Amino acid sequence: MSTWHTLQERSFLESSARQRAIGLVDAGSFSELVGPLERFVSPHLPILGEAIEFDDGIVTGVGLLGKHPAIVISQEGRFIGGSVGEVGGAKMVGALKLALSIFESLQQGSAAEAEARRPIVLISFETGGVRLHEANAGLLAHAEVMDLLQDLRRKVPVVALIGSKIGCFGGMGFIAAATDVIVMSEFSRLGLTGPEVIEQEMGRNEFDASDRALVFRTTGGKHKFIMGDCNFLVGDTLADFRRQAQHVAQMSMIEIEGMRRIGSRGAVERQMKLVAFAADLRPRDSTDMWKALGNKEPQQLIAASEEEFQKIAVRWNA
Amino acid sequence: MDAIDTMIGMGRETIDMIVDAGSFVENGIPGFTLPCADYGPGAVVGSAKMDGRVCTIVANDAMPSNPRFPVVTSGIIGMEEGYKMAMAVYRSIEADAGKPLADKRPLLLIVDTPGNGPGKVEEIVGMNKATGAYQLALAEARKTGHPVLAVVIGRAISGAFLCHGLQADQILSLSDKYGTMIHVMPLTSIARITKQDIEKLTALSKTNPVFAAGPEFFFRLGGVEEIIEAPDAIRDCVLKHIDEIYRLKAERQTDRLGPWGRGELGEERGGRVTRKAVMQRMNEQFAAVADRYLRA
Repeated sequence: MSTWHTLQERSFLESSARQRAIGLVDAGSFSELVGPLERFVSPHLPILGEAIEFDDGIVTGVGLLGKHPAIVISQEGRFIGGSVGEVGGAKMVGALKLALSIFESLQQGSAAEAEARRPIVLISFETGGVRLHEANAGLLAHAEVMDLLQDLRRKVPVVALIGSKIGCFGGMGFIAAATDVIVMSEFSRLGLTGPEVIEQEMGRNEFDASDRALVFRTTGGKHKFIMGDCNFLVGDTLADFRRQAQHVAQMSMIEIEGMRRIGSRGAVERQMKLVAFAADLRPRDSTDMWKALGNKEPQQLIAASEEEFQKIAVRWNA
Repeated sequence: MDAIDTMIGMGRETIDMIVDAGSFVENGIPGFTLPCADYGPGAVVGSAKMDGRVCTIVANDAMPSNPRFPVVTSGIIGMEEGYKMAMAVYRSIEADAGKPLADKRPLLLIVDTPGNGPGKVEEIVGMNKATGAYQLALAEARKTGHPVLAVVIGRAISGAFLCHGLQADQILSLSDKYGTMIHVMPLTSIARITKQDIEKLTALSKTNPVFAAGPEFFFRLGGVEEIIEAPDAIRDCVLKHIDEIYRLKAERQTDRLGPWGRGELGEERGGRVTRKAVMQRMNEQFAAVADRYLRA
């Protein structure tokens, strides 16, 4: 219990995947499933002479947010960049499948009980996507995760929590985009193609990956909040993220569906308007976009605290 | 007819090889409209008939470049392309809403794409949403009862294959004799990023299916249902699999289709054997503590 209380005020950014998993749910409620003692390790890394981890770089388990069972998936960036291989992918898929089966078993009981105990999925992303050492298995697992996100629609809220050092890129970037609700801190990032890859493919004129400020302006939490991709910008403690998750657990499924950026024809039509806006504007920098949306002082927004920022930032609204 | 040595870059030609002669109508899906004529030119969508049955086609076109998004060329799926493909799927679902399973039109994905748009504007706007949107649309079509079949004729690379292919009920691939490529990243890039020796990786890539590139290895992992030996056999193979998908859906055997079905197939074929054990253990461990979470 004391551990849990200490964790609450810890920086999410600096925490490990397991600390995040424990701290994101109610005190003492987290049970890890297929944890390191089970020793499900990558069968593929040893062939390449690479070190393994007993949890394959991902923590999965279940906890509680009030009466709501919370299925937690937490990626560990310190193990091969949080990359997803066969075992880690299966842990993600298994956890999402478990959320669906918990939902279905609760449906057998009274409607009020099912509503009061509606499960929630929390995914803390810290990854660049597919693990190249076992690339094909990782790729196939990504498709399974996406498939299950669609199965969980309108049943179990799936919340992306992005507050890690690595952020969320590659194939996991579109998995995060396909969740119901995205919670970010301003210190973390969300995208598809990472800065180094853009620079390598398209040249330094397109993207200078060594420019940290540029990197954060392009994919950081504040920019994603203005674009409407990040639904809630929070502070950097585990308590900040947990409180936001708790808040989502209380929301109605209709309200949650309304937070989505993609997943219906209407949502796609709104995104197409944003693409058309960008095609006309041809932004060279994310702050060109901010200004065009009516944010007159981008520098002031960059410096603002997340609380202040959310009050003054003008967001994209189709 | 001259012998064909590759189908790379031949998305449009492939449509004509598969569908009933002269039946393809580009953009001709009920309710489907585009903001401008050259919208998302790297994606070709429309309606056609296969053995007289109306179907939706979603293909890549490697020839045009997107005039508004310069990184989008050679069959790359950019933002406009991704949303155009998603809209074609949603409009197809709407066109058949309320119809019985047997009357839900099939969706045929013809795959020849080297990647998603890798640019700064793409990241500013959110390329991840466009590719995610298309995947969710395909998953919805599949779960609504539409047979969704992908056929890889050229390049099926990484995120672009996840987007355009891996949400299908089944995936077919033309044999690698025709230059067909299925992989996440070229070996030279993998070697650089993983700091592994390129010779070791090259040797391994010939034997290890989780690592190797190409349709044969994806077949062993369950990622490809069937390899098609020659271009002139594509049409018959497509028709056969669409019938099979209709049958499996009618029999409610949807667990044998889509990404989940490919997981099961990967185990049957001995390519991915850890996956299932992990999930079984998770269920057992949850069962032991379930009361704490379901009756708290």
